[in-house]
Amino acid sequence: MKAGSNLENVLRSGAFAVTGELGPPKSGDLGLVRKKARILKGHVDAVNITDCQTAIVRMSSLTAGLAALAEGVEPVMQMTCRDRNRIGMQADILGAAALGIKNLLCLTGDHQKFGNHPQSKGVFDMDSIQLLQMVRGMRDDRAFQCGEEIKGNEPRLFLGCAANPFADPFEFRPVRLAKKVSAGADFVQTQIIYNVEKFARFMEMVRDLGVHEKCYILAGVTPPKSLGMARYMKKFVPGLDVTDDVLSRLSDASDQREEGINICVDIIKQVQDIPGVAGVHVMAIEWEEAVPEIVKRAGLSNRPDPKGIEPVLSSSQSIEKAVEDARKEIRIELEEELERAKTEAQASRELVIKEKEKIASEISDLKKQVEEARTMASRKEAEVQKLTAEIEMAKKELEAKQAAAPSAPVPEPQPPAAPPVPGPAGPLTGREQRVLESLNLGLEALKTVLGLDDTQFEALRRFLEAEFMLQFGQAPVPVTPSAPAPPAPGPAEPQPAGPVPEAAPAPPEAEALVEEPVKPEKPARNKEVVNLVAKGNLALHSGDYNGAIEAFEQALGIDPEDAKAKAGLAEAKAALEKAISAVQPSESEESEGLLPPCPEGVDETWWKEKWIIRYTARGNVAMMNGDYEKAVVEFEKALSLDPENGKAKDGLNRAKNKEGIRIPEAAGAPSVEEEKTPEPAAAPAEEEEEEKEEEAEAAPAEEKPAKPEKAAEEEKKEKPAPEPKAPKVEISAPAGEGVSDLSVTPLAKDEPPLSERAGDIPEDVYMESCSGMIQSVMLGDGENAFSVGGETALPFYNFEGDMPNPPRVAFEVLDSEPEEWPDVLTKYFSDCLSDPAEWARKCVEQYNAKSICLSLVSTDPNGADASPAEAAEVAERVVEAVDVPIILWGCGNAEKDTETLREVTGRIGDKKVCLGPLSDANYRTLGATAMAFQYPVVASTPIDVNLAKQLNILLENLGVHLDHILMDPSIGAVGYGLEYTYSVMERIRLAALTQQDDKLSCPFIVNLGREVWKAKETRLPSDGMLGDQERRGVLMEAITASALLLAGGELMVMRHPKAAALADALVEGML
Amino acid sequence: MIIAERKTLKELLGMIDGCSRVLILGCRGCVAVCSAGGDKEVAILASALKLGLTRRGKKIDIEQRTLVRQCDPEYIDPLNQDAADFDAVLSMACGVGVNFIADRCDKVNVLPALDTTFYGANLSSGEWKEMCAGCGACVLHLTGGLCPVARCAKSLSNGPCGGSQGGRCEIHPDVACIWQQIYDKLSGLNRSDEMKNIMPIRDWTSAGHGGPRRRIREDLLP
Repeated sequence: MKAGSNLENVLRSGAFAVTGELGPPKSGDLGLVRKKARILKGHVDAVNITDCQTAIVRMSSLTAGLAALAEGVEPVMQMTCRDRNRIGMQADILGAAALGIKNLLCLTGDHQKFGNHPQSKGVFDMDSIQLLQMVRGMRDDRAFQCGEEIKGNEPRLFLGCAANPFADPFEFRPVRLAKKVSAGADFVQTQIIYNVEKFARFMEMVRDLGVHEKCYILAGVTPPKSLGMARYMKKFVPGLDVTDDVLSRLSDASDQREEGINICVDIIKQVQDIPGVAGVHVMAIEWEEAVPEIVKRAGLSNRPDPKGIEPVLSSSQSIEKAVEDARKEIRIELEEELERAKTEAQASRELVIKEKEKIASEISDLKKQVEEARTMASRKEAEVQKLTAEIEMAKKELEAKQAAAPSAPVPEPQPPAAPPVPGPAGPLTGREQRVLESLNLGLEALKTVLGLDDTQFEALRRFLEAEFMLQFGQAPVPVTPSAPAPPAPGPAEPQPAGPVPEAAPAPPEAEALVEEPVKPEKPARNKEVVNLVAKGNLALHSGDYNGAIEAFEQALGIDPEDAKAKAGLAEAKAALEKAISAVQPSESEESEGLLPPCPEGVDETWWKEKWIIRYTARGNVAMMNGDYEKAVVEFEKALSLDPENGKAKDGLNRAKNKEGIRIPEAAGAPSVEEEKTPEPAAAPAEEEEEEKEEEAEAAPAEEKPAKPEKAAEEEKKEKPAPEPKAPKVEISAPAGEGVSDLSVTPLAKDEPPLSERAGDIPEDVYMESCSGMIQSVMLGDGENAFSVGGETALPFYNFEGDMPNPPRVAFEVLDSEPEEWPDVLTKYFSDCLSDPAEWARKCVEQYNAKSICLSLVSTDPNGADASPAEAAEVAERVVEAVDVPIILWGCGNAEKDTETLREVTGRIGDKKVCLGPLSDANYRTLGATAMAFQYPVVASTPIDVNLAKQLNILLENLGVHLDHILMDPSIGAVGYGLEYTYSVMERIRLAALTQQDDKLSCPFIVNLGREVWKAKETRLPSDGMLGDQERRGVLMEAITASALLLAGGELMVMRHPKAAALADALVEGML
Repeated sequence: MIIAERKTLKELLGMIDGCSRVLILGCRGCVAVCSAGGDKEVAILASALKLGLTRRGKKIDIEQRTLVRQCDPEYIDPLNQDAADFDAVLSMACGVGVNFIADRCDKVNVLPALDTTFYGANLSSGEWKEMCAGCGACVLHLTGGLCPVARCAKSLSNGPCGGSQGGRCEIHPDVACIWQQIYDKLSGLNRSDEMKNIMPIRDWTSAGHGGPRRRIREDLLP
């Protein structure tokens, strides 16, 4: 293989080759080359690209050849010796080969005299035979003509030459061909053959020379286009032998072109039979269209599949291709990069999730530990109490034994004159020393009794210390036998202190009691009573007067006559009263001390109020924690600063009554646990859960032990869900991961009124009362009817005006089974999706729907196109099924809705429903219908203030009163134009309220469920990035609802029960 | 022999336009033989120019001389003394003479009266034909004495091209195909087989493509 060209391949394969000819244009129009190439493509194995044939200036054969190559046609580049010397020719040969040219036909070239520049200097530096030699040398010897080596790529070219069998001297022609072949020609294309007989003789001579075995001979043929052309060739083209037979065939033919083709085909068939002919070279000059036909008729259509045609692109093409390739490469790279980044992000997300889980589990472990510790502490306390009781018994026995001896007065633990002063413990008094010793002795005794090992004991002591520290806010003095004793804890406190240290109070008491001279005591007392009395005493002395009272009362409940219990009760009550009364006056005296010095530059009144609020808040917090004593203290502190403070008073009362925080909406007042003092350390009783829950939700965070919100949430999820106080029907979610609980915790409502929060900012600075008013529209009839609208202030601006009717949620029910609702939505209605009436009923009964919006989607002419009668039948059933107000919402096609809604109204009659949507296209008909039945209507406009106003005016002109119109502003869900909706609604509302634009004063109906649930985010499945599908959808709906509630939405048409519950909770919380 | 041909009168009149004294200088060498620039042609030209000038209403002095050869300093150099007497010297020698005068006579404004055409032979009275190209690398021994360089339209080296038909060159029916002649000649000499040999690509240096040619013969140098 010399060059690997297609022509070479075909010829070497032994196939009868067909080449064509393509004359480049006499212009720079490459399109013509491409056009000709396309005509020839597939019909020939290669195409000669002539080199300024007949010495007429044309586009160079190299350029045109490349264009043909780009078209997938293999060029045979022709090169003449006329126009270039050896320098130019070799240069072009190198370039041609480099650009993918693989065939070169070496010619001497027509003399310039024939062309359009006969004055030109013919170069003829060499003849065609020398040219063949030169190119062969370049190819095979890798040498330029001068002999210099070609370093690098040599031109690999399949070399051809021309031969004219009809030129003179005829006998020399085969010799000359032989010379060409020996000079390097691999193939030969002959001059146009008409005289086949002469050609056959030529071939005979060629065969005699054996030339046909050394090269491939392609017989040249040309279809004569006309008789004129044939004559011209015969007469003027040198070396062309047009036979008379050809001329007569043409002159006799009715269709000369057809005959021309036939002549050509005949010649091909004839030369095919001549031995040594390897192919034909079809030269249809300026008649390329004839080639496919000739080839076909000659039976040469099946050209071998082209091989080795590889266009080497140049200039802009290659740049474009390079750019394209680079783009592809970069795109792939980017995609890989993205993929990698995604993977990494995924990995890190997973890591974070794992980390979170780990932390969560650690937190829950810690909680468990705390819980265990608490349980243990309470058990210990119980044991201590038991022990105390035993000690009491022992004491009694001892008293009995030593009855004779007059006992020294029992050293009642006397409250020190002043509460223990926080600060470094000074030298201890003798008494304190004794107390400490007693304490330590008691502790040791306790250790022995409880069978504690040293570690446990140490732990207990540390608990005590810690408790002490917490209680008094003082650096703990280590309670060790050797150390100086700390001031006595709890019992010495005159005030009802906060949580009493669980185990602490017992030891000193026990010690004291043990040491005290025994009193004679009546035997045969009920043991239970004795225990209770002991407990009461213990509580009394530890300052837990309430606990004491409770214990004594319990004891009396068993034995009403028990003197000790009676006495104890009296004492405890007295002590409690004393304590309370002692607190109040002293507090007022100490009010200066309660109020930390006012920092410089701060208004003193403000500072005082701040502390009042702070104390009140602390009281609330304590109350929420169940520590009513502390709450009382804090509230009293607040009252001592401002005796008239209503909040503090209220708090104090509630703390005293142990009511806890009152939630107005709470179903039933929180039950006061009768006769039961909450035991701080005890596991929360079931009844307490409600309150606990409230605390968790309602407590201002100020003093509450900071519990990470997330942990709290998780806790809520993990733990048996606390029963919410919401006035909701308890509803359970169908099995699903996203939303495990449809109930919603109500929002905190104990926010102080704005006037309070605003401090001393004058009201007129922040208040802006509106002069307008929103229409109040009555929906439905019967007991479940309600009104929407009626506001005299912006939504939820309760401090500026009234919002008499809370915004409501209407559940959307479709009149046919929804096709595109995601599972997370349909699962709530899966049992009733096919029955709208049942569906509506479920919404009302199970999901607490206050209203139903029946979407008559099946009537859509572009959808199921249900008839108005069918829709009316469904609507009638729904209206009958539920008693809440119903909105009948058409498909949105004005005409169809007119028919449908008219049909519907005809069937429901007087039952009040709301009709929608009315647009400018059907407001007349539907408005009239609505007026006839006194129905409210939904005026629907596409997010535009002016259109909304216009439609209202039209309706009013028609006779529909504004208090029968709900405006549907058309909305976009969050992420889908919510902000635009918000802006439009806000502007409408502001116009209505502040600019007395009563034409815009209708309440809003916001059909948001359908907008949210058609967003793709609600349909994408759960994944790491977007999270849980249901939660996502619910939040999208709830967030859209919240935003539009704030924009003024009064009737929210929604879909998901949880989202609806959230919206309801928001409304509840804000009003 | 160098063949030349007188330029047209029009062209010559144009050349001497503005001159008042002109010397027409003939040569008795090649140009005299090919009837282009000998004594006879000088006289004819002088008369023709006068007539032409007279018709244009101009009158100038025209002097006539003819040198033995214009390609020899011996005859050229005396012109230097007369240079001031003429506005122009119209040389009727071949290009060699014109160049030689220009080379040697600084003050002389020499103009060519002839086109020097080729190295040819006088076929018959009034007919001359190119026979040699002066290419400096003669191959006539290979071609039966017939020069393809000078006599083939494309200066082919390896036989007749496809345009050879009936012994004629394709460029003009009047032009014989030299390769047909060479073939015939060699065939006649039974040397036709020589035409099977490929004549290698030529070195055109000696043909003037290597720059102006000169020849030196050491033994004859002064």
